[in-house]
Amino acid sequence: MSLTRRQFLTLMGGSATAVAAAACGVPERELLVQSPIEMPEDMVTGLDNWYATIDRQNRAPLGVVVRVMEGRAKKVEGNVDYPVNRGKHNAVAEAGLQGLYHPDRIGSPLIRTGQRGEGKWEQLSWTDAVSRVAERLGELSGEETVFITNPVSAHTGLVVNRFAEALGAKHMSYEPLERTVLKASMKQVFDQEAMPDFDIENAAYILSFGADFLNTWESPVRYARGYGHFRQGENRSRGKLVHFDSRFSMTGANADEWVYVKPGYEGEVALAIANVMISAGLPDSPALHRITGQGSNSLESFTPQAVGSRAGVDPEKIVRIARDFLEHPPGLAIGGGSAGAHSNGLFNLNAIYALNYLSGSVDQLGGITFNPSPPISDLPTAPDATSFSDFRDLAGRMSGGQVKALLVRNADPFYGLPENTGITRASFNVPLIVSFSNRFDDTTMLADIILPENHYLEDWGTDIPDPGPGYQTIGFQQPVVRPFFESRGPHLGTKNFGDVLMTLAQVLEKDLGLDADNFKGLMENDARRLRELDRGSVRAANDKLFWNTILQRGGWWDTNASGDIHDPRSGQYSFPTAAQAPSTGGSGEFHLMPFETTGLTDGRGADLPWLQATPDPITTATWQTWVEINLKKAEEMGINEGDVVKVTSEQGSIEALAYPHPGISPDVVAIPVGQGHKGGGRYSKDRGANVLSILSPVTESETGALAWAATRVNLRRTGEWIRLPKFENTAPDLAEDGHRRIIPLTSG
Amino acid sequence: MASTNTQWGMVIDVDKCIGCQGCVVACQSENNIPINTEDLFNQRRAIEWIRVERYWEGEFPDVKARFIPILCQHCNDAPCEPVCPVFATYHNNEGMNVQVYNRCIGTRFCANNCPYHVRFFNFWEPEWPETLTNQLNPDVTVRSRGIMEKCTFCIQRIRRTSREAARDGEELSDDSRELNPACVNACPTDTLFFGDLNDPDSKVAKLAKEEMSDDGRGYHLMPQYGTSPNVIYLKKVDESTKDSNGSHE
Repeated sequence: MSLTRRQFLTLMGGSATAVAAAACGVPERELLVQSPIEMPEDMVTGLDNWYATIDRQNRAPLGVVVRVMEGRAKKVEGNVDYPVNRGKHNAVAEAGLQGLYHPDRIGSPLIRTGQRGEGKWEQLSWTDAVSRVAERLGELSGEETVFITNPVSAHTGLVVNRFAEALGAKHMSYEPLERTVLKASMKQVFDQEAMPDFDIENAAYILSFGADFLNTWESPVRYARGYGHFRQGENRSRGKLVHFDSRFSMTGANADEWVYVKPGYEGEVALAIANVMISAGLPDSPALHRITGQGSNSLESFTPQAVGSRAGVDPEKIVRIARDFLEHPPGLAIGGGSAGAHSNGLFNLNAIYALNYLSGSVDQLGGITFNPSPPISDLPTAPDATSFSDFRDLAGRMSGGQVKALLVRNADPFYGLPENTGITRASFNVPLIVSFSNRFDDTTMLADIILPENHYLEDWGTDIPDPGPGYQTIGFQQPVVRPFFESRGPHLGTKNFGDVLMTLAQVLEKDLGLDADNFKGLMENDARRLRELDRGSVRAANDKLFWNTILQRGGWWDTNASGDIHDPRSGQYSFPTAAQAPSTGGSGEFHLMPFETTGLTDGRGADLPWLQATPDPITTATWQTWVEINLKKAEEMGINEGDVVKVTSEQGSIEALAYPHPGISPDVVAIPVGQGHKGGGRYSKDRGANVLSILSPVTESETGALAWAATRVNLRRTGEWIRLPKFENTAPDLAEDGHRRIIPLTSG
Repeated sequence: MASTNTQWGMVIDVDKCIGCQGCVVACQSENNIPINTEDLFNQRRAIEWIRVERYWEGEFPDVKARFIPILCQHCNDAPCEPVCPVFATYHNNEGMNVQVYNRCIGTRFCANNCPYHVRFFNFWEPEWPETLTNQLNPDVTVRSRGIMEKCTFCIQRIRRTSREAARDGEELSDDSRELNPACVNACPTDTLFFGDLNDPDSKVAKLAKEEMSDDGRGYHLMPQYGTSPNVIYLKKVDESTKDSNGSHE
């Protein structure tokens, strides 16, 4: 057959069309453009194991499972069984892996060889290090020894308490943004020692004051999990969240309504809300009786009008929100964070939490439930935090030479305490500083001997969650990998903190009165006691099986063992008749609001690169210290983003990069806590500025806690400019349609 | 498994997203994403396969900020695919947009063509201090300099779980946490759902059916480009703007 050129082309064109038509259906084999060799993502090397343990990177420890392959920890995920977080976790928990494999970890006991703080160290064996510390401690009387730890509970708490008792040493628990005021409020309002649980999941209406509870406050993963249900849970209508705060926080951003309150007036707003609620007519109850002081405390001075003008809140808004709150039960009121960090912090928090009695949500679904005492009676729960005033006294005693030895574990007071306490200077009058840290934080840098403890992923431990989930829970922490520095041999490497204390006590010939001679033994003994209770999540035929099962599940809990039904008459709080005005330190133009960021929180995450690189939700800024300032105010002052600004309080000044944004009040500036470490390794050292260092020494009037939100500052441009490392604008704005119109992300 | 009928997809409920960055860090940990240093942020070269964008609405005192997680939309009509000269990016038969690293020659055409800006280029060889490499996930290739990378829906998890299910003679379940991408498991508020859009019993298929109807909250990002994404967003509910014109399309 012969073809003309024209015929040939016609034919070819037709078959090309046929091919194209076939392609529309994407036949599964022919067009699968895939190399015949196994793709890299298909390759699987080795087997993975997931081990349950407890995350300690968060302030409120989570139950996690860790993926381990070939002896190395690879991934952290939430433990679905664990009552606190039920399978959820956060950026902070994830980053614990970088703490485990941190390039600047301390892998052996060290002794200082140069001047204090010079950074010259020599490795020594555990036997040598422990006997040197014991020798020095043995020469001292108890009062001359001070032991500072993070707030420790359960078995670690037990060993610490016994050790301090045996030595007669003073034990102090340290956290930069202490919970003293919050705990005091729980005691006064609810007559509770432990933090209660907030049933956000079932609440219909939440009033929150100052507490950034979705981001960093108390137990954010637990609260965020509840929040998901609160918004779009099945079989319920969408909850409403109103957030009163002096700063536009992440929780403020997620609230249906964010209401600006002048710093320190949160309590008065709560009392005005109470006033409206009571005027609307509440059913008589023992709780109402108590809270209103048998009806005699009339809240006369807290009318919405009067409070509104003092607090900078529209009185109509107060009335509307109060009525809304009353009409949508169960209504939950939460307060904390900056609301408690004023000179009148306790006044504020008490008034806020008392609202729960008026809304009838105490001991109710969708309200507040109380936590029971632990199942094993001699296990301590988280201790009362030591207040700022006590630390200031400590600094005085240190500089007077009355403190001869300072033991510090998992706390960084030389970083977190304001400059004006003079604690860093005073430390040079303390002849012996022992650190148990496995990283060179600011305190450890000034230590004489370092006895590094294991990373928590290599270690044994237990945790009694605080806030707990509303029933008895003990988390069991097990090593998921062998200690990273194990290869250095038994005389070097890192050790369990409890074991080190027990060995120290042994060398000092002190009896701690414990029923085992090592830390794991203590845990095993108490696991036996738990088994004897014969109730709860794990029951087993024998001790070994029981032990293995609680490790496998990450702990033991008993959902039936909830807190006692609360007697509303038992708290001592009743509404005040007069307002308590907040006092501030200094007279600067702006009120300074320090805040915790998602990644660094109170500074404990600063040494981990993932957390440094985690964008702050509001500003998307990373790696630096910035100062949030109102957009219009910044325009007036000629301040642009990235301008280096000198922030000066009466106590000193720091430099930070300006970030003007539309969400902050013109008379407030906000600076994140967490940077400005002198140590901590390559990722945190000399990075940014430490806002805690310039805080005025204002204290909460009743508890002596640091009123960290009560400082006033001035701002001045230095003339320098540094690009603010932020994620925003890495990708151009997406919320525009093809005609460059902004697409709203909200539905009507 | 991996019947050719599978269509992996995600549903993102913006009403629940609080902007906590849990998904972002979970993704970095699972997928060996290089450390985003300060310099990389300043150069606008930080890599986040999933990111949380923040939008301002209004100004003080009546101000709102909205969060929306953005990741590869795994478009059925993906603009990134036809422009790749070497078939490094292609659509697999499970509805996913896949990047084959060892084919990529770094033209960056795909990133130019992606309206969602979810493709990231390795301008430099990624570096970790030696000890931190212990954490790297052996299931995921470390991308070298000159390679484009993006969200894979954690294909390594799907493969591993599918293989193990096949080995044990089990059905792949939509509820299986092992199947979920790292971001989905991390999300504390359950904003993210993952599953097979073609399986009528799966959570995502049910949500898609319910919410993409006229009175649902479902929408696709930038539908005007006709990319037909496998990621569905559910709008945030805002009581205060209920009466205003809240159209998103």
